[in-house]
Amino acid sequence: MEVENGEGQVQVHLKTKQEQYAVPDVPYAIEGSVSTTELNIFLNALLQSKGAESVDFDFLVFDEYLRGRLCDHLREKAISFEDSIEIEYVERFPAPEPQDCLLHDDWVSTVKASGKWILTGCYDNTLNIWTYKGKHKLTIPGHTAPIKAVDWISLDDENGRFVSTSQDQTAMMWQWNIASNAVECVSVCKGHERGVDSVCVSPDAQRFATGSWDTMLKIWSAELEDVGESTAKRAKESGVRTPRMTLQGHRESISAVQWMDNNTLLTGSWDHTLKVWDLNLEGIKTEISTNKSIFDASYSKLNNLIVTASADKNLRLYDARTNQGSVVRSTYLGHNAWVQTVMWSITEEFLFVSGAYDNQNKLWDCRSPKAPLYDLLGHGEKVLDIDWSNPKYIVSGGADNTVRVFKSSKATVENMETK
Amino acid sequence: MTKKRTVKRKVKEPEPTNEQAPVSEESENEEDEDLLQAVKDPGEDTTDDEGIDQEYQSDSSEDLEFESDEEGNYLGRKVSNEAEEGEDDDEDEDEDEDEEDEDDDSDDDSEESDADDASATPKDDQPSSSKAAAAQTKEPLIEIIPRDPSKPEYEDSDTSDEEDIRNTVGNIPMHWYDEYKHIGYDWDAKKIIKPPKGDQIDDFLRKIEDPNFWRTVKDPMTGQEVLLTDEDIALIKRVNSSRIPNPEHNEYAPWIEWFTSEVEKMPIKNVPDHKRSFLPSVSEKKKVSRMVHALKMGWMKTTEEVEREKQQKRGPKFYMLWETDTGREHMRRIHDPVSAPKRDLPGHAESYNPPPEYLFDEKETKEWLKLKDEPHKRKLHFMPQKYKSLRAVPAYPRYLRERFLRCLDLYLCPRAKRVKLNIDAEYLIPKLPSPRDLQPFPTVESLVYRGHTDLVRSVSVEPKGEYLVSGSDDKTVKIWEIATGRCIRTIETNDVVRCVAWCPNAKLSIIAVATGSRLLLINPKVGDKLLIKKTDDLLAESPNLDIIESERIKTAVQWSNAEPEEQEKGVRVVITHFKPIRQVTWHGRGDYLATVMPEGANRSALIHQLSKRRSQIPFSKSKGLIQCVLFHPVKPCFFVATQHNIRIYDLVKQELIKKLLTNSKWISGMSIHPKGDNLLVSTYDKKMLWFDLDLSTKPYQTMRLHRNAVRSVAFHLRYPLFASGSDDQAVIVSHGMVYNDLLQNPLIVPLKKLQTHEKRDEFGVLDVTWHPVQPWVFSTGADCTIRLYT
Repeated sequence: MEVENGEGQVQVHLKTKQEQYAVPDVPYAIEGSVSTTELNIFLNALLQSKGAESVDFDFLVFDEYLRGRLCDHLREKAISFEDSIEIEYVERFPAPEPQDCLLHDDWVSTVKASGKWILTGCYDNTLNIWTYKGKHKLTIPGHTAPIKAVDWISLDDENGRFVSTSQDQTAMMWQWNIASNAVECVSVCKGHERGVDSVCVSPDAQRFATGSWDTMLKIWSAELEDVGESTAKRAKESGVRTPRMTLQGHRESISAVQWMDNNTLLTGSWDHTLKVWDLNLEGIKTEISTNKSIFDASYSKLNNLIVTASADKNLRLYDARTNQGSVVRSTYLGHNAWVQTVMWSITEEFLFVSGAYDNQNKLWDCRSPKAPLYDLLGHGEKVLDIDWSNPKYIVSGGADNTVRVFKSSKATVENMETK
Repeated sequence: MTKKRTVKRKVKEPEPTNEQAPVSEESENEEDEDLLQAVKDPGEDTTDDEGIDQEYQSDSSEDLEFESDEEGNYLGRKVSNEAEEGEDDDEDEDEDEDEEDEDDDSDDDSEESDADDASATPKDDQPSSSKAAAAQTKEPLIEIIPRDPSKPEYEDSDTSDEEDIRNTVGNIPMHWYDEYKHIGYDWDAKKIIKPPKGDQIDDFLRKIEDPNFWRTVKDPMTGQEVLLTDEDIALIKRVNSSRIPNPEHNEYAPWIEWFTSEVEKMPIKNVPDHKRSFLPSVSEKKKVSRMVHALKMGWMKTTEEVEREKQQKRGPKFYMLWETDTGREHMRRIHDPVSAPKRDLPGHAESYNPPPEYLFDEKETKEWLKLKDEPHKRKLHFMPQKYKSLRAVPAYPRYLRERFLRCLDLYLCPRAKRVKLNIDAEYLIPKLPSPRDLQPFPTVESLVYRGHTDLVRSVSVEPKGEYLVSGSDDKTVKIWEIATGRCIRTIETNDVVRCVAWCPNAKLSIIAVATGSRLLLINPKVGDKLLIKKTDDLLAESPNLDIIESERIKTAVQWSNAEPEEQEKGVRVVITHFKPIRQVTWHGRGDYLATVMPEGANRSALIHQLSKRRSQIPFSKSKGLIQCVLFHPVKPCFFVATQHNIRIYDLVKQELIKKLLTNSKWISGMSIHPKGDNLLVSTYDKKMLWFDLDLSTKPYQTMRLHRNAVRSVAFHLRYPLFASGSDDQAVIVSHGMVYNDLLQNPLIVPLKKLQTHEKRDEFGVLDVTWHPVQPWVFSTGADCTIRLYT
């Protein structure tokens, strides 16, 4: 009883996977009422005896982040206080720092980073290219309606290629010569009957997929020269491209498209379903039905999990490997408005970022469903898109006509090296 | 039986005498009789004599009475009496005794005695004739012919059933013939004449002379005298002494044991027992099992139990003397009656000689008297009084009154228990499912569409659900992107926008905007470009109007293409009305639309056909101030709401189908269920009415969820949801499930109150609309915003 009131002691083992911070595996008796702060002081005291400098840690108790008092956490998980409890500690992910604010003329509906460039799409029908330093490189008009999504096809030191989709029912493929800072529209992809809301380029950069309000999923060639088309001749001259494949299955607008591998696509739709498409079969492989409209979905190759954004303030975690199931693995509470966008980190297994209409970006660890790791403040209006394609930078665009760049200092050296 | 036997014997006996002279019969009879007498009282021979005298005297005394009546016959009578005396003997005596009773009666009545005399007169004649007969048979009378003992008694016939053929009168009392000369009839139907009877003296003489007199008896059948044989006498004597009549019968014959009483060790018979005898009997088993079952069930009782019960019954019975005090009264016809109220037992205060502390002092007396007007408030209903002795206690003055009241109490007391249903009020509330089970429905405010500068009157959603149109008092129409809240386009008009309606046909891209007295058909230029172009083409060309419209319509409405500057804004067609338009609504197919002009009197409702650019006025007469109109989603029906009622018209037959009675003061809006059988009506008097059109013309349910005037209601097209917006700034989302089963009533569950709008000038929410696909509701408010709840 004493322990439950937070007054008694609990026996704990401290463990870590990070060798440099290892402490001897001996049981410690600590107060039940301790929280992360006290555990940090205690652990740093242990480490300082070995001569290390002070580091901030986060503590995982039974695969969930400790937020608040240990005894409350244990009670919630229905764990006996008499067991010896294993606490895993990890070095706390450092807080991303706001680095820059890129001002636009209109709402920024989409943003995509690659290398040192940031590509943004605006409601004023233009595309913009920026550097991380905050230098505006180029404004590309071309679309006749607000841009809804952009994605990089390829990028090297001389040339960049990217695709943009718009409410004018087209997707446009662009070639950008970095040196001369000239951009050229390679082709206009026509075929959708309503605004194209999402686009994603396949990992091998051969194809890209678009999802639209007309409920269709279309696969297009991302090659410079579209080969194998019977009507290629005329189309090539006019630069108009037709879809390679049209997949029908959703009943509502497709709001998210992501390639899981070169032949598998994940789509999220307003019709409350997530669908996994097999392009070899040209059909649906798996369907996960949820009970909310999905505004964005992100799939992580590192842990095979899908995180979705919906209007009810919550982010939900689904397992891509379940078949026909709709079991929510976890629900992440933290936003207090419609969550518009979400994206997994491509280097950190457990981290993802989300942006919502409460003007906030949040950085989450998927093991901490109750509270995010960090709130990334800065936007003065709705966040419309967020991107973490470059592990160093979290970029988000919003209805306040700005793109905010947050530097993620954790972009650890070894991670960068592996990339 | 014994008598019959004796008769038979008597019948048989005289047979041999039959062959003899009939005279002998008479004497035999006489002898028989006397013998019997003698046998009865063997030692009374002497007394008999005396008795004769006495009899004689007594007889004479009887006769003397007769004599007093008729003296002339006296002598003759006496003679005849004497003559008869000897014959009658004992039997007559018995009869006399009977007669004496009769005579006693006759003494009282002289007339009867006269009749007796009349009957007695023939008697007088008889003796004379019998006298003559007696004279004739005097000789054989003395001769006594003994029966021949050598002859066997049953020589002639051994049948005992044979009729006595000596006298054929049968088995009748022979004294019936006392008064006649004959005694019966023989076989040849000739009278058997009674043998002459000697008088007392003759008898006496015979007694003296005849040594066999004592064994002479008279046969009653024939009147003959019979001489008993020695055997007969011996037999009689044996019977009289209660011995077995047959002297040869050995009473103590040795006992012969035919069957032994001892139990033998070996069986008498050698036949082995049948196999069957070793098997238990099935029928017995059945019987036993039936009895065991009966015992178990308690239907049958063992003899022991029965005995015990009997014992208990017989045993001392105890019962509660004052049972009615504690037990409940049993009443006929009333089940579980309420027993009569009991009176309190008398206390010390009621004693005639109470202890002094019970007596009232002055203060108490005053108090008691003060409560005269309300006696029920008194502690005691009487004033205790003290008397020296019980004798001094006067009559209780209120006795009758109190008895009467008590009787009233008992009589008026309800004796039967009235069953009052103890129902919890909550129990009566219908069980509604938990809102959690009825998800999805909007729960939170998700987006606020800001941009209007005055109150937003109306909102409408594109059929695909991507865009939204709103009309405001700031004279603008705005088109919004739902998902982001971005205003895509603002269209300025010349007047306050009262109503906007997006064409429900997804193949057309038209918004109908009611601004002032103009109805604008606007192409919003969002969505599919192909559709936008098609719509433009459709609206650009005006069809040839070959129908000449009536003056009534012409003055009410004019169609025209929009001016070039308006064309740029997207306005394609302008329909100018003669009065301000309040509402516009589309038919489901998107070709017809109806407008309401409340000030238009009998032309306040109009139906426009887009493809023909034609207008119609469906009603020639105004039935009231029309508030709003509605097309049926499936049938060609038209709903018209006036201030108080809703009329449903068939547009094809052009007739009134139904009139719904709302019983409310002012209708504000209505919405029809997508299946078309249920109608929701909002009223300014804070109510929402649900009409089941198949059920009744009265509301199926009236909902008072809002605290202020309800402005608008809306059904969701796909989900079983409806929403209402009110001036209390709240949007209330309810579950309204309509079942396909006609027998099941709609289920209505209020789910969520969404109150985020701000109040401006007493106005709250002005309009509510559902997203066509998602369970999202839009509301417009006086605070210049449109809000989306998801």
